[in-house]
Amino acid sequence: MTDLALHSTPGLRAVAREQVRAVGLSLRLPALAGLALLVLATLFVGGEVVRHGARIGFHPERWMLPGVLGALLPLAVWFGEDRFGGAFLWTLPVDRRAHALAKVFGGWVWLMAAIGVFVLWLLAFALLSGGNVLGAETMHMATPATSLEPFDPATLRSVRWGPEPVLWLVPFTAATGTYLLASALMLGPRQPWRWVAGTIAAFFLLTIAMETSTTPWLRGPFSDVFQALVSGPYGLEGLLIAHTEGLRAEADVGPGQSITYWQSLPDPGGWAAATLLWLAAGAAALWAAASRHRERRRP
Amino acid sequence: MSPSIHSQPSPGAFAVATHGLIKRYGRETALGGMDLRVPEGAVYVLVGANGAGKSTTFKILMNLERADAGRAEVLGLDSAEHGPRVRAQIGYVPEHHAQSYRWMTCGRVLQHAAAFYPSWDAGYADHLSRSLGLRLERRMGGLSKGQTRRVQLVLALAHRPPLLLLDEPTDGLDPVVRRRTLTLLAEHLADTPTTVLVSTHHVHELDTLADHVGVLNEGRLVAQMPRDDLQRTVRRYRMEVPEGWVPPPELQPGELRRSRAGRDAQCTLVGEERDVVERLAATGANVRDVLPLQLEDAALAFLPDEVTQ
Amino acid sequence: MLINLDPRDARPLYLQIMDEVRRALVVGTLRPEDPLPSVRELAAELVVNPRTVSQAYHELEREGVVYVRRGQGTFVSVGAQANSEERQALVRAVAKRALLEARRSGVDVEELVTMMREVAAREEAAANQGAEA
Repeated sequence: MTDLALHSTPGLRAVAREQVRAVGLSLRLPALAGLALLVLATLFVGGEVVRHGARIGFHPERWMLPGVLGALLPLAVWFGEDRFGGAFLWTLPVDRRAHALAKVFGGWVWLMAAIGVFVLWLLAFALLSGGNVLGAETMHMATPATSLEPFDPATLRSVRWGPEPVLWLVPFTAATGTYLLASALMLGPRQPWRWVAGTIAAFFLLTIAMETSTTPWLRGPFSDVFQALVSGPYGLEGLLIAHTEGLRAEADVGPGQSITYWQSLPDPGGWAAATLLWLAAGAAALWAAASRHRERRRP
Repeated sequence: MSPSIHSQPSPGAFAVATHGLIKRYGRETALGGMDLRVPEGAVYVLVGANGAGKSTTFKILMNLERADAGRAEVLGLDSAEHGPRVRAQIGYVPEHHAQSYRWMTCGRVLQHAAAFYPSWDAGYADHLSRSLGLRLERRMGGLSKGQTRRVQLVLALAHRPPLLLLDEPTDGLDPVVRRRTLTLLAEHLADTPTTVLVSTHHVHELDTLADHVGVLNEGRLVAQMPRDDLQRTVRRYRMEVPEGWVPPPELQPGELRRSRAGRDAQCTLVGEERDVVERLAATGANVRDVLPLQLEDAALAFLPDEVTQ
Repeated sequence: MLINLDPRDARPLYLQIMDEVRRALVVGTLRPEDPLPSVRELAAELVVNPRTVSQAYHELEREGVVYVRRGQGTFVSVGAQANSEERQALVRAVAKRALLEARRSGVDVEELVTMMREVAAREEAAANQGAEA
């Protein structure tokens, strides 16, 4: 028998490193597109600042964009990969589930980089336009009297609210959360598009049913569940924007002038809870999806 | 059709051994109990019609598919239990021309693969690319079928694996590149201790490289032996036969061809020549001539005529 | 030394290679102390499994026709003259092939030998004529 020393498999760190590089290469075009959009936005917002002297505050937690970016990125990461066929990926000497997760990790690294760029861009605008970053802000809080018609700004009370730097993490966690879920969607089902289309269709049908139906069980429980899922204390809104949308309202006080007031102040504790929940759910979904591609051993 | 013919297995290690491998796709049976034996260092050619189960076997060896029953061993490792480790020993050229990494250049793809194979020989990869006329700066997405095939060949050979699984390796290549590929393969075999399991429709191309043959029909191996044994025991017999003569079934006859007038007949028969001539004489056939067959024809003799049409 | 393999020859390849080496010896294209192509070279040129070439060289070494100089390759043995034995073996092989061909065409030995002499004579005459012209 010939003396054959068996070849070794690559270490997981080397695999992760290479996937970061490879995924980075595959994202060059989307990155260019993103850069172009950023330049356009800079021109637009910059124009506003220069012309009207607008001051942009530094509130990265109020943007939906990171969440959306996280949801869309897996599309680009897994574009063209024959996940349920003989993709080149699967023929490599790496445990397949680990390899799928390594690829997801590769995309996540670039996602965080992109979010970082976005947050820095916001910071730059805040600093350059003289907006508030670290100082305390005056926020208008609603009182029970505020809900009475017509709107009377006098019912609002002013509150000093210090910056909560921990909320600057929101874009990163939001993007990570949606990225985990969307990656699970790309890896798990054979036809992710059918699932997306199906979910959207179901959502519309349910909404219509809820609005138009008179049956109490349809309006009540479904509506409650939906509300909880989206805007409840542990809802999606918490993950994405720390509830800042739901807590905030705007009202007109005169020609071309409006005032922003809050039902309650952004709460890092609530945000953390919602985020942990959604991240855990995302991780679980991703693990299940990646497990579909695991090495099949004998039962 | 005919009972399987297997030469006595020689003692020693097998690079690939499958035991009763069964694989079904829905109601189709791709493999119905396959006992493949590829001796270490052999160049084993797997012959069979499309859909006979060749590609399925390769995928099971790579643990890209799981068998429904049976076991597959590569270099002593169970391919289902040790998937990644087994794949590290294999250079695989798949049947289809995978279109991953469209945006990457050929050179970058080779670099990418190098990260996964600690035994990657970058200089050798360079030499192979040049020999096959690969332009490393071209993008994978813009390559023709033949060019993609060439990249896949470099990917399979450059890390000098102990086992090569080649599924139609020369498919889509023009004659000049085919020749070049086979020459490279011969050189590779001289430089690296390797076992080769190759499936091909062009058996004549591998005539001089092959030293073992397996004939696959409808998911079963109907013949498996060293090529010298095959060419010695499968020959075409020209004879004079009486009216209504039928070849003895134990000689696994192929199609019997008779001349329109006269008593000439021709038939491919299996067995040691001396024994066959005796048997034929016993049944009243007078052997005039015995023609040895090319490897391809000898192997195809084990496939039913409807398949070889 | 140029080796060609006959694709129609169904004998084991290593035997064919051995015969080709012997033929080269008899004909004179290979002389004692001449190097044989390396296993790698010959395998690549003939697109043959290197193990087959190795086997052929090994058998030739066993028969004393060639010997191996460590680190330098395989060389024709000093004693491996194109001796009468080798020559006889070669002629025998040629005769066997001719007879096989003849038998297939229903030609018997006597007919074959007679016709061979006739054809050889005619060819020589034609060659002489061409030389004179």
